Amino acid sequence: MLTGLITPSAGDATVAGFDVRSASQAIKRVAGILPEGLGLFDHLTIEEHLLLSGPIYGLTPAETRFRTDQLLRALGLYETRFTFADQSSHGMRKKTSLALALLHNPRVLFLDEPFEGIDPVTAITIATLLQNIARRGITVFLTSHALSIVDRLADTILVIRQGTIVWQSAAGELPSSLEEHYLTLVEPQKVEQLEWLGCSQS
Amino acid sequence: MAGLFAILKTLARLSWRDLRTLRSITGNNFIVFVLVVMYQQPQSVYFFFMILGVLMIGPLSADPLRKVPPDRLALWPLSPRERTILRFATPFLTPLVWIALPLVFLAGFSVAAALIAIVVALQLGLELHSRFTAGRPPRNAFRFVPAPPGRLGGLVRKNIRQMLSVLDPYLAILLSAGGFAYRMFAHNPDPEATVILSAVVGIAMSTSAQCLFGLDLPQGMVRYRLYPLRGWEILLSKGIAYLAILFVIVAPLAPLPGLGAGLIGLAFGHHTAVLQPLPQTRWRLTGGIIAPAGLVQIVTMTAVAIAIARESPLYLALAIVAYIVSLWFYGRLWDRLSE
Repeated sequence: MLTGLITPSAGDATVAGFDVRSASQAIKRVAGILPEGLGLFDHLTIEEHLLLSGPIYGLTPAETRFRTDQLLRALGLYETRFTFADQSSHGMRKKTSLALALLHNPRVLFLDEPFEGIDPVTAITIATLLQNIARRGITVFLTSHALSIVDRLADTILVIRQGTIVWQSAAGELPSSLEEHYLTLVEPQKVEQLEWLGCSQS
Repeated sequence: MAGLFAILKTLARLSWRDLRTLRSITGNNFIVFVLVVMYQQPQSVYFFFMILGVLMIGPLSADPLRKVPPDRLALWPLSPRERTILRFATPFLTPLVWIALPLVFLAGFSVAAALIAIVVALQLGLELHSRFTAGRPPRNAFRFVPAPPGRLGGLVRKNIRQMLSVLDPYLAILLSAGGFAYRMFAHNPDPEATVILSAVVGIAMSTSAQCLFGLDLPQGMVRYRLYPLRGWEILLSKGIAYLAILFVIVAPLAPLPGLGAGLIGLAFGHHTAVLQPLPQTRWRLTGGIIAPAGLVQIVTMTAVAIAIARESPLYLALAIVAYIVSLWFYGRLWDRLSE
């Protein structure tokens, strides 16, 4: 709803001082978003996605080129930059969408599962990148199931279960590690026995 | 052998599903146009049927075994003998072979054999190409479509690639090539014929104007909603791509009537494109809405093309105005629907 992808049915909210109902265009200019489905075009290469988006956000061709090259190198996409989105792995697509979210230097970042499907080295790069940009005053909204990474990154933690907030506190106020605390809040699912597994060869 | 039969059964099901994607043809304006011609001038319809036949050979000849991901195929515990049987049995699951078999009785053995020879040649060619290019990064022929300058340049490039990924422009190219050949080589070519053929080329492309977002669904639409772009800008980037392709195709015939028809086709096509985005499949004819959108497109496009050629080029200005009004109206509608 804050990203403008879902229309609010009631209530008010602002993003970077802009009302989500009346100033959706202004929010789109200042927000960087990594959506759940990644929002990529099958008919464009990884690099072309970035070169397309720069001018849309008002960057000059030279700025777009410079930032594109830096982001591609930072996220380990430079070697595969000519690969079309529909021929890329999930991790490459995820990193492309993340690069698109960062390209225009947003004031607020909304990232949906940025670490899912990402190799450990790039995950550390992204985590460091997010810490750096948060220090520079950019607000980062992060939804993730990679709890160990969230534990290290987040200032404020909010746990949602079936649409309801079940925990909200500063990261330092957690009674235990985030992973342990999460499991006390959200009961683990019962494991099916699947008795046939390992009983005989077929 | 049970595993092999299960695979063959699945491949037959996949081929059948693939064949069903050709149903988009029933929502294509060009088919309606051909049916009208068939009713009024049955002798003229063979040319159009021949072109449609040529166009459909490729999609109907696809090798069913290529639908199985190579890794999955390699993982299945099949013996070498079973793999050989699979390789030789799957061509019989190709839709064009299904069409060829009854033709043995209806049109004679030579026609059926010719169709099967085409299937074998195409599948063999693709197989050899795959073997030669194995291990190399996949190539995309559309990679070299340039991006026009400007804020929307990247989007226009993407849209051109999308529009070239369905069969409609290739149908239009075949029609245009036929018309151009007639103009060049006929003894006394009728000057009106090029105008009519320009309108027909426009009609062949007109369903694409209804399906502007057909290959963007679903994730491309999410990206559009994230960009700080107005609805008219998104529609304009589609329109530029559409008109650029159409102009190149009608250039050898009658460019201005063709362009006028294209502008009108877009003006009316925006309605379906914005209010009812229809998903499309690559390498198929697009499928839109025939009544009323498609019928309105066919009638108005033909009328405008003829008016520009016979009456005055000022009708082109009228088409431009109609396009701009539609761009403004449906652009606002897009904005409202997206917020």
